[in-house]
Amino acid sequence: MPAQTNSPTAPEVGTATLSVRGLTKRYGDRTVLDGLDFDVGAGEVVSVLGANGSGKSTALRCVVGLVRPEGGSITVAGRTVTPGVPLSEVAMVFQRIHLVPRRSVLDNVCAGALGRLPLAQSWATWAFPQDLREEAMACLDRVGLADRAHDRAGRLSGGQQQRVAIARALCQRARVLLADEPVSALDPAAAESVMRLLHSLATEDRIAVAAVLHQPDLARRYSDRVVGLAEGRLEFALPAEELGDHRIDELYAADYRAEGAAL
Amino acid sequence: MTTTGITTGGAGRLPVPPRPRRIAAVGSAVVLIVLMVVAHAVAWRETEFSVGALADGWRGMVEFLGEAIPPDLSDTTLERGLGACVVTLAIGLLGTTFSIPFSLVLALLGSRTTSRSPVVYQAARFVMSFFRAVPDIVFALIFVTAVGLGPFAGVLALICHNTGVMGKLWSEAMEEIDEGPVEALRTAGASSVQIASHVVLPSAAPQFVGLLLYRFDVNVRSSLVLGLVGAGGIGFLINKSIQLFRFDEMMTYIVMILALIVAVDVLSGKIRHRLSDA
Ligand SMILES: Nc1ncnc2c1ncn2[C@@H]1O[C@H](COP(=O)(O)OP(=O)(O)O)[C@@H](O)[C@H]1O
Ligand SMILES: [Mg+2]
Repeated sequence: MPAQTNSPTAPEVGTATLSVRGLTKRYGDRTVLDGLDFDVGAGEVVSVLGANGSGKSTALRCVVGLVRPEGGSITVAGRTVTPGVPLSEVAMVFQRIHLVPRRSVLDNVCAGALGRLPLAQSWATWAFPQDLREEAMACLDRVGLADRAHDRAGRLSGGQQQRVAIARALCQRARVLLADEPVSALDPAAAESVMRLLHSLATEDRIAVAAVLHQPDLARRYSDRVVGLAEGRLEFALPAEELGDHRIDELYAADYRAEGAAL
Repeated sequence: MTTTGITTGGAGRLPVPPRPRRIAAVGSAVVLIVLMVVAHAVAWRETEFSVGALADGWRGMVEFLGEAIPPDLSDTTLERGLGACVVTLAIGLLGTTFSIPFSLVLALLGSRTTSRSPVVYQAARFVMSFFRAVPDIVFALIFVTAVGLGPFAGVLALICHNTGVMGKLWSEAMEEIDEGPVEALRTAGASSVQIASHVVLPSAAPQFVGLLLYRFDVNVRSSLVLGLVGAGGIGFLINKSIQLFRFDEMMTYIVMILALIVAVDVLSGKIRHRLSDA
């Protein structure tokens, strides 16, 4: 990997680890994504902002293969993503975290590797090879939870569970990490620690991170660039420090109208 | 408050907007009630339901009870009854346990959460409906002709029927789990089998065990009825004592099986309660 400066400017098209061009998705006659373009480069955190229903989740779910887009192209590290087929280089974490609460923390992290394991080594947790367990322990150590490996995942706090989900993504050996409102359900302290972790994964491990956030303040402090979505289109892409309040107000005006602006 | 001059509570009053489609709802409720009344009237006639016949028959019942009480508490009857209770329990146990693998396979193939192919899904659903729809007593009669009178026919009958019922219950339990972790592992590239083994089964495990205990409970009761048609156990003894007009013996057997069923019911209920807490 070439040495890169930590400049927050947009990477050139073609060098971006994740590159989305002209992404379109319709549900019935409703156009949810309408020719969306955005890039995420290795080593940067990109915040995705936009009003409710602007298509943020749908865009990320297209990249990760959970939703099949009708048009456009998605490339990850130069490889074109087949619509609806997940790519091992791309991992996703969710607002509702989605660990298996009854399984141990370590087993949850190991599950990130399922895509590259033959059934003989993955039909049950006790079939997992030892080197996978050790790799998963290293991933847990990376998120600061190595001491909780044998606890049931459901026992951990929300912030800890989100870090376990991130460790699962690391165990998947993802180069692109998509986070759909990763801190919306967390208390402020937990949110800070998760955002710090995402930021350090970008700067230290050179992972391309895209996170849907609803707090402009977190976006400014932890991301390099900010992209704004409105009605399934890219509204703006800016370095984080150039994100002005008026941009935010415009972007979320639809939400204020929907809530009746009853103030 | 800056609205009108109305000064009742803190926020004044507003007319309640009319609820839409009120009349249509009342109309369909009336139609439904009329249909239900007609259905019950027809059923009353078809079953020859008659309070008079019940009142006239009370003398026969008293006679019957007079012969049944006191129950026969002789050692031979108690011993025979106890042995038959064990057989009844054993039929229920094997019938439940040996249906687990079949139920599991059918449930996995016939649950939307784990089954990717619509053809396989529909086929599994059909097989489960079939085994559920055929009553265990019909299976018992078929197996009695195949393997002869006795408890083995009862075990086979329960395996067949329970496979259909438990497969259905388990597939529904799997459909009720949180879809989130399934999606999360799908994005990690996990296959359907891996997702079943690492998300669906561990998530549904408490429900699986609860339903298994519930089915054991039901199957012990079924095996009593199966005994009446010759599939061994205490039901078989009850049938024999009726044919020999030994109602006192029959009473002993009924009390014993009652105790057994209550014990199984309480025990499985306790365990299921524990599971739902955990
Ligand atoms: N599976 C679906 N079926 C129908 N409509 C959907 C589906 N998923 C999302 N939508 C619609 O697409 C729009 C964008 O949704 P989403 O991407 O979740 O927005 P965001 O994450 O920005 O709030 C919404 O109007 C939503 O109702
Ligand atoms: Mg969303």
